[in-house]
Amino acid sequence: MELEYLVSTVLTILIPFYLTSFLLYIIRVVKGPTLSDRVLAVDSLGYDLAAFMVVLSVLLKAPLMIVSALALALWVYALDIYVAKYLEAREMGG
Amino acid sequence: MISLLLVILGLTLIAIGVFFDFVGALGLLRLPNFYTRLHAATAGAIGGAVVPMLGASLLALGAEYLGPQRFFLAGAAFASSILLMILAQAGSHALARATYISQGAPLEPIEYDALRERGRGGS
Repeated sequence: MELEYLVSTVLTILIPFYLTSFLLYIIRVVKGPTLSDRVLAVDSLGYDLAAFMVVLSVLLKAPLMIVSALALALWVYALDIYVAKYLEAREMGG
Repeated sequence: MISLLLVILGLTLIAIGVFFDFVGALGLLRLPNFYTRLHAATAGAIGGAVVPMLGASLLALGAEYLGPQRFFLAGAAFASSILLMILAQAGSHALARATYISQGAPLEPIEYDALRERGRGGS
């Protein structure tokens, strides 16, 4: 099937780019001076990982992976909100 | 013919998403402090996550060889992209507000702080 060959070759070409950007995010997670930098890096790392899983689920013909990508996006959002609340609440409590 | 068009459109959207992802990652590394990195992170989150998901849903619609399960793939990818479009903004806004209020991150490369001016009754 010519279509399948086109889709799988192009997606396999894109995978290393995804992995390099994940590496750059991880560098910022490790290097980030403040807590907010680290949370911001984990935040965008999680969202891009969810997008990567959606693209992989098309490549590997496994539609069930999108459910975990959705859950990952929700959990990363929850991390954001919790850290924001912690940063503010601790300051108000002081 | 339609499926080839959808596949081409989906693949270009995914390629654009990969480019934004890379730009967001580089911006997160190169920009001087937290508040400037917010721009890179949200650009990386929206361009690098929502756009590839839209591309993946178009691609899944076009990929005839997947059979009937491709509609589930397309719908779920579209739903998660819409959800992510809302979540990414709200999450980074909450983080930015909390960091600004609790002075969690240094402001040093930024000279003019409009929010503080308004706080003191500035313009």
